[in-house]
Parts: sequence; structure tokens; C-alpha cells
Amino acid sequence: MKINFTVNGRPAVVETRPDQMLVDVLNGLGCASVRETCGIGVCGTCTVLLDGEPVSGCLLLAPLAHGRAVTTVEGLGGEDPVQIAFAEAHAFQCGYCTPGMVLASKRLLEENAHPGEEEIRLALAGNLCRCGSYVKIVEAVQRAAERKEDPWTS
Amino acid sequence: MTDSRVTGSARYAQDAEQPGMLHARIVRSPFPHARVGSIDPTAVPAGCVVLLPDDIRGLGRYGVQVRDQTVLALDRARYAGDPVAAVAAATPRESEEAAALVLVDYEELPAVVDVLDAVRPDAPLVHAAHEVSSSQAAYFGLRPENGTNICHRFRIRHGDVEAGFAAADVIVEETFTTAGAQHAAMEPHACIARWQDGTLEVHTGSQTPFNLREELAGIFALEPDQVRVVCPPMGGSFGAKTFLRTEAIAAALSRKAGRPVKLVLPRDEEWQTLNRHPAVLAVKLGASADGTLLAKQVTCYADTGAYADCGPGVAQKMGFAAPGPYQIPNVSVDACCVYTNTPPNGAFRGYGQMQSAWASERAMDLLADRLGLDPLELRLKNVLREGDRYCTGETMHDIHFAECLEAAAAAIGWRHGRTGKGLSVVLKGMQTPSRAAVEIEAEPDGTYVLRCATTEMGQGAIRAISLLAAELLGVESERVRFPSPDTTLVPYDTRTTSSRSTYMMSRALEAAVRDLGASGGRRGHGEIVDEGGLDPDTGQGVASSHWHQGAAAAEVRVDEDTGKIEVVRLHAAIYAGRVVNRPGAELQNEGSMIMGLGTALFEQVVLADGQVANANLSDYAIPSAADLPQRLTHQLLERQGAEPHGLGETALPPVPPAIGNAVASLDLHVTDLPLTPEVVLGAVDRALGVRT
Repeated sequence: MKINFTVNGRPAVVETRPDQMLVDVLNGLGCASVRETCGIGVCGTCTVLLDGEPVSGCLLLAPLAHGRAVTTVEGLGGEDPVQIAFAEAHAFQCGYCTPGMVLASKRLLEENAHPGEEEIRLALAGNLCRCGSYVKIVEAVQRAAERKEDPWTS
Repeated sequence: MTDSRVTGSARYAQDAEQPGMLHARIVRSPFPHARVGSIDPTAVPAGCVVLLPDDIRGLGRYGVQVRDQTVLALDRARYAGDPVAAVAAATPRESEEAAALVLVDYEELPAVVDVLDAVRPDAPLVHAAHEVSSSQAAYFGLRPENGTNICHRFRIRHGDVEAGFAAADVIVEETFTTAGAQHAAMEPHACIARWQDGTLEVHTGSQTPFNLREELAGIFALEPDQVRVVCPPMGGSFGAKTFLRTEAIAAALSRKAGRPVKLVLPRDEEWQTLNRHPAVLAVKLGASADGTLLAKQVTCYADTGAYADCGPGVAQKMGFAAPGPYQIPNVSVDACCVYTNTPPNGAFRGYGQMQSAWASERAMDLLADRLGLDPLELRLKNVLREGDRYCTGETMHDIHFAECLEAAAAAIGWRHGRTGKGLSVVLKGMQTPSRAAVEIEAEPDGTYVLRCATTEMGQGAIRAISLLAAELLGVESERVRFPSPDTTLVPYDTRTTSSRSTYMMSRALEAAVRDLGASGGRRGHGEIVDEGGLDPDTGQGVASSHWHQGAAAAEVRVDEDTGKIEVVRLHAAIYAGRVVNRPGAELQNEGSMIMGLGTALFEQVVLADGQVANANLSDYAIPSAADLPQRLTHQLLERQGAEPHGLGETALPPVPPAIGNAVASLDLHVTDLPLTPEVVLGAVDRALGVRT
């Protein structure tokens, strides 16, 4: 079946099986940062934003993205305050979970401009980092919150 | 330029592609022990390639310390998950569907799935005999016990333990256990293999490019230079991606298919590929009334699963870490590596030493309790100091155990009250003997290329080694490039394990920079060798050319109704020598502590009828941000003029015993990891029994 949607602001038309998962379709479109790893929607590695809401690409049937807007970390352009804050805070080791972590953090900051440490820990509990970079990830989110406030950097 | 890890442009082994490649899927035994009968692949669609036992019958056996493995199980499957066949197809989905159509006849055999059952005289034998490997990773004398499930027994014999116990005023005895654990790197095992003109090329996430090259050459009867191993960055490893894992199956399939074959493990198969050794450790510790340690006897059983892998080395490290960082005049250790019909267990961050630290440091608190001494004072009284000799006979240099302990204790306010608080201190060996080499190539544009076999798995080796090289060369680090290791281009290195790379490569780099200057400035070669090793029958020699040292302190609250432990405060003090890359060093400490927290509180591989029952990231929980202690802090102890000390693992082993000792300070006697609510409630019941 055919689905029409936008990926990182660009329209895309894709022929897909009805039981295809979104992660596979995005990989086919060159969004390599979205990787299936747990396969059951618990690790957050394949997090993408669907109309701005975080979803697990390994659980969402691709046809459900029809008519909607998908954002992956490739679509943030590299200068997003959250991306910059993650780099400045050294909030990653292997970096495999980072795309999902960045997107989940971005959504958190839209909901809550100044989350406390505990709120950040809970909001990111669905994004697993086996390297255990959480201390610096929390710092990165706080740094991104400050960065978004600062008119000179946002 | 923003880091590739935040822009989504980072690429891992899993992302590698080659034109015309097929995707592989493994067919695995559902039984822990079974005779493999006929295999019928006729239902597999045309166009798929099926690898069967007969295809690999003529290939060599492998196994880095015991040669106990074949590319597919031949005739006998030894664990639930043992590969018996494999399929390659055009897409991952087609290979998954095709693999389900391969029909295998099995005849179940008696299985042994518990390590203590496996050492009973009447236990079923997992392997009839134990053939010691001649590989470069069989670096110590192996002592297999044929006719039993013990494939290596390591001993320490130091002083006279019987005399020591006879002289002791107090003796404590206890048996401790630790559960199996899964590395759960976010990136699964992934490789791609292809053949060209009789040579084999493998791109794989691996910590051990040269060990892998040697194993593949042995299996396919090739010269080492007919095997090329390229190691892109990994999305985590923690020991999982060491030695040969899935690469031989991909290579054999590729040879049969005449096309490149890619193999990415589905998540559940990670648990069927490699886990951490569950262990049972029996400890007897004797001291005089003033707390002077007089004798220690430890027997360790490390469950290596159905294939030894580096299990003998794990048992040996468990054994030589078991005495703990203390001056003890009489020591006797037996550490056994034991086969069971369970998935293979191998290298896991801080290998062997977490298990020993749990037993050793819990025993120290039991002793302190019996003696009525402060656990910190008992440790400080006995801890190894500069110039002391360890029970292996080696003299200890650059020793900071007391400093680490004092720092950890101070961080949780130890001297202001000890209820709900616990301490631990550990020594951790580094791979010894060990060899490292690096080449520096000066490019015409003023940049330098490092030819170095150290692989990147998130531990920050590329950054640390590049910074060291830049400093020695007197250039900006941007002018140093560090391409992914390729065995056709880089000099031999033992492997990227045991927190050895920054330390070893820092010294190899110094030699390479000197050589660069001496040889005209175009190319410099540096190589260093650390000699050493232990006599497996006495444990005498040099266990480690360089000791990793650390202490941890924890403060907990325990809900005695639910058994839930809340870690309020967790601190680690780790000796770093010289810090090369501060953010990277901090991340390694934090990551090790968080992994230690998972080990302490909830991580365990659960078996049911010999099968892994929790092979997914929902039933097997790993720590999330929400699991962090209220306060998690750490410090890197530095010393002017010191060499860099590896930091990749040291902060993991001290965490479980620090938490266990904190729980024990509440009169809850715990001996088994992880400290699940069930374990804690058992301790509560025992304590109530004592109280009433």
C-alpha cells in the first residue's frame, strides 16, 4: 500500500506492506539514525516525533504515519539547542541511544521549559542508555533549557 | 562541527552494507542438551541459502582458551540457543521466515543447568574432553580436569591457611552467589562477511580484531593475512563483542552463497550468545581479635555455560581478586571454570572481579561485625600499601586503596553514623601479559594518522588516544586522525579489554613519537610488552602489571514490607593516576557505577528448564534514568607525574558490595545478588526470626 507523509519537512510517498513498521520505512528513506534494537518499544532507541509526539518506530505500523509529519534527529539540523547542549555536556558515550534521547528531551522541554532533575529522570525513563550516561544527559537537558531561554543562542 | 552522535550521522557495525548482500538468521536448538538428528530444509523458499552441519563438518574448531566449539553444533546441541543451522535471504524478514521452516529432529539428553550440580561426580558431561587452545588468548597455563565439567582450575597457595585459621580468634564462613547478567549493549551483535579471491573480509563490531582474525583463519584453514577484520565503532559492548561470536556463521554462509552476508542478532538472541558468569563463592576468613587478617580460603565456581570462551580467564581473575586488596599471610584459593548446558558466559565489564568483590567485601563486613570493629577501620588496618607484596608474590606499586576508601567513606559521612551505610574497596587486574603497538603516519598536509587496533565501543578510546598523540606530537588534536581498526593496516595489539588501552597505548605512543623523530618524521612505530602471568597451580607470579583501584560507598533505605531498596546516595572514589580526557573519564566512572547498580539491585538472567526466560528488555530490566540513586557522585583520584590508569570498569565491582553492606548494616544478612525484593524479604524474615 501507498503512504503519503512528511519526513523532516519533506514530502515522501512510500510503497509499503500494511504490516511494515515505521522504523523500516524510515531506514529505507535514509534516516539511518532510527535503529530498531529492542523491537518491543521499551528502549527508546528508535524514538521519532510523530506530529511532535515521541513514538517508538519499532512499534508504529508505517501506514499509521499516513498524512502525518515525522521528525528524526537528522531533521534537527545539528544546531538545535538540545543537540548543542548534548554535545557540550558530553551526554553520550557510544551515542547509539542519543538520537532518541535528543528527541525525547526536545519534547520534554516543549512541555516543561524548566524541568527539575527528578522530572527529567522520569521523562527520559523510556529511553535506555546502557553506557549509563544519565548524569550528563540530565545536565544536557538543563543546559538546553537555559540555552533556549537565552535570546543570543536560541 | 557538531558531534556525529547528536546529528544522527554516526555509523556502527550494524549499518554496514555491501552490494548484493544477503541477510542471515540462525536456527537454534530449543533444548539445553540434545542429539541433533536430521535437518530438513526443503520447505525453505528457493533463493535462500541454508547452512547445514554437513557444510561445516570439515572446518576447524575454535575457542580462544578451550577448543570446544564448531561453527554450527555438530550432532549435539549443548544449550538452548546453540546454532544448528543458518539461513541467508534477500531481506531480514525473509530470512526470519525461512529459518522457521527449517525442520530439525532432536533427541533430548539429560542436561545440567546449575553450576553446583555440574561439579557433582555423577553430573552429565557437557564435553567429553577438554582440548586446550593454542590461541594467543590462551595466555596462561590451563588446568582442565578431563572427565568432569571443570575446564580450568586456578589455585593460589600462599602461606599455610590451616595454621592461619588455627591462630585466628575469629573465623567467619559464608557462601555467596551472583546471578548471570546480559550485557545488553544497545547495538546488537552485527557483522558482514564476504569472500574475494580466497580471502575473507569481515566488518564487525568487535573488541578483539586480532583474536578474531586468528580464530577465523583457523576455522577456514587460511593464513592470518588472508583474513581481514575491520572494526567500526560499536553501539556499546561491555565485553559482549569479544572473540568470535557470530562472524564464523556469516562467513560460512557467505562462502556457500557466493555473496556478502550480513548478520544482525535479534534482541532475544543476545541472551543466547553471551552473558556474564553466574558464580558461587565460598569464603572462610580468619582474624585475630584486634582485626589483623590471618587466613583466607576461597572456592569459586564460575558457570561458563556450554562453551568455555574466555571463561577460564574469568575464573582466574575471579580467583586472584578473591583475596581482596589486603595483606593476608595465609591464602588458599581454588577457582573453577565449570561447563553447564546454558548459553555461553564470557567477558563482562570487570570480569570475574565483580563476583569476587561481592563475596570478599561482604565477608569483610561479616568479620567486622563479629569483631565489633568499624568496617572502615578493619579495612584500613589490613589494606595493601605501597611496596606491600600481594599473595601472588608481586610487589604492589602506585597503591592508593586507603585513599580511595577514606574518600568514599567521607563522601557519605561515614564517621557521623553508619546505619544504612556500606563501604567496599576493590583491586582489579589488567590483562597481563599484554602487548600494544601503534604506528603514526605523517601526512603531507600536516595531519597525522594513527594505525592502532584499539576499537571504539563508547568508552572514548579514540578521543583519549588521539589527545595523547596530539600532546606528544605537539599539535592540535584536530590534526590527529584515528581510522577504524583494520587488521591489514594496524599493528598487532592484544585486544581492547580490561581497561588496558589508554594505559598501554599511552606508552606505545611515546615510543612511536620517538621513532617518528628518529626515522625522518614520516612514520613512527612504537611497541611495548608487559610481561607477567601467574603459575596456575600456585598463583605465584605477576597477576597484573598495573592495578586498578577503587572504593564505593552507599547509603540505602529499605522498605521492610515490600523488600524494596532505595539507594539514597552512591559514591565511588577511583584511582585514575593521570586523567587524559576528563569528560570521558567521568562518563566511564558514572557508567560503571550505574551498571553496578543494575547488578546490585535487579539484573539477572532467569532460566526455566534451561531456557532463558527473560530474553527481552522488558523482562530483563537495565537501569533507566529513573533508577538512579537520589545522589550519584564520584571522584577521580589523581597523582602528579603518574601514568594514566584505565577507568573503563573499576567503578563497577565495588558498587554491589557497598550496597549489600549498607543493607546488612540494617541487620539484613544478604548473600545473593541481585538484591531483589524477594532476597531482601528473605533477609527480613530471617532477621525477624532472630529478633523474636
